[in-house]
Amino acid sequence: MLREIKNGVFLFYLLASSVLILLPLAHILFSVSANGLPVLMSRGMEFLTSTLPGPNKPGGGIFPAIFGTFTMVFLSSLIGIPLAILAGVFIAEYPKSIISNLARPLMLIMLEFPTILVGLFVMVVVVIPMGTFSAIAGAIALAIIMLPYVTTYTEQAMRTVPESYKEGAYALGLKKARVVFAITMRLARKGILTGMLIGMAKVAGETAPLIFTAGIAWRSIGGINEPTGAIPLWIYYLVQQPYANYHEMAWGAAFILMLIFLAVFLPVRLMMVRS
Amino acid sequence: MNAIEIDDLRVKYSNVEVLKGINLEIPERGCFAIMGPSGCGKSTLLKAINRLLELNPDVKISGDIRLFGESVFRMDVTKVRREIGMVFQFPNPFPHMSIYDNVAYAARCNKIVKNKKELDELVEWALKKAALYDEVKDRLRKKASQLSGGQMQRLCIARALALKPKVLLMDEPTANLDPIASGKIEELIHELKRDYTVVIVTHSPAQAARVADFVAFIYMGKVVEVGDVSEVFERPKHELTEKYVTGRIG
Repeated sequence: MLREIKNGVFLFYLLASSVLILLPLAHILFSVSANGLPVLMSRGMEFLTSTLPGPNKPGGGIFPAIFGTFTMVFLSSLIGIPLAILAGVFIAEYPKSIISNLARPLMLIMLEFPTILVGLFVMVVVVIPMGTFSAIAGAIALAIIMLPYVTTYTEQAMRTVPESYKEGAYALGLKKARVVFAITMRLARKGILTGMLIGMAKVAGETAPLIFTAGIAWRSIGGINEPTGAIPLWIYYLVQQPYANYHEMAWGAAFILMLIFLAVFLPVRLMMVRS
Repeated sequence: MNAIEIDDLRVKYSNVEVLKGINLEIPERGCFAIMGPSGCGKSTLLKAINRLLELNPDVKISGDIRLFGESVFRMDVTKVRREIGMVFQFPNPFPHMSIYDNVAYAARCNKIVKNKKELDELVEWALKKAALYDEVKDRLRKKASQLSGGQMQRLCIARALALKPKVLLMDEPTANLDPIASGKIEELIHELKRDYTVVIVTHSPAQAARVADFVAFIYMGKVVEVGDVSEVFERPKHELTEKYVTGRIG
């Protein structure tokens, strides 16, 4: 009898903890949808295609923010992904080298590194010499943040390729570069792609590293050497304003950011579950 | 002429000596079986011949291996592996490539052919030589991962043959196949040994007796006995060999 009570209490405790840790996530999803979706519904396409209205003016949209986020995620991927994949391949192929032994713990530290410090670093080396905030400075900061995710996933994916395929390739007289790029990387492509998407989803939602690097743009879109908006930056600034319509726009922007994040993350999760 | 000559080959895996001074002469054409119980060093010996052992940085190798008189350690390593094809214990065709590409890829990379037509002919020839062509001719562009285990192993033989090797190494090629698929591979070995020097590693004395012309019995990293297959099986000189071929050790 006592055993059954203990068992029941323990099961209840497990269930309650699971619900408890899901509550904040459910609350975020619910509140962002409940406040953001009506904004999007009432303004329609205008919300996605037009720029910031004046305080307490009707209408307007977050186009400069969407444009800035896509530009910077694209540029940071262009800079970060090739570097990160090569680094991951190197660490996987030469696991005992000094560089790999240094890079592995460094990547783990970078995963947890305060991103605002990355922003400060890029401000010193890019923004100050350029004399302006810019999309490219923001993208460099995001690329640095993306690096450890893509590198770690690439390394892990490369290491899961069975040794027998590599041996088979070497036994055919193939050179190391071909074995790595045409056989091992191709067999590890799902894991590498997962890392790329997770890295991109991660930086799409970053705010702190952009404050000192991207600057802000509200009513215009510019070149990559000019200040730019970004969805998380807009949310950060808009909620600090004393105007009701800006708060509404911040909710709408949050909803869009959540959709972008989920659009990248859900297929990745699905892919991971299937494999 | 001997296809392969091995002189005092010693292999150490981080200070554990696995091969303790192997001397062997493997004649050209025919099938040479290396047999012995698990862990005796026979697969290590095979991988030393095409220098695949060197992929492991913890391995130390001394002694010499000559391919038609030329030391493999002085040859370009990719050339050694092209001239000495290898088939593994687990069928390992590249799962992301088609049946055609599995055979064609290394031939294309190693510039064995000049153009697409020659490549098509080479793929067909290699698949026929590996007794697989009739079973796959209508689905050459399908993924290799769709084939059965036995077909995959014959595809691996075809991809090795496409490089026109002089020697074909086989590391327990039937260990993971059912009896019917194993039988097909053994039949194929009988065909191949007319044109190639086939070196097969097996832990089964019965298989060695079925497919080989010459046999070496290896025990704990040393060659115990080597000779003509009928001699070794019918009149073994060494007591250990007799125990092994009669199933009393192994």
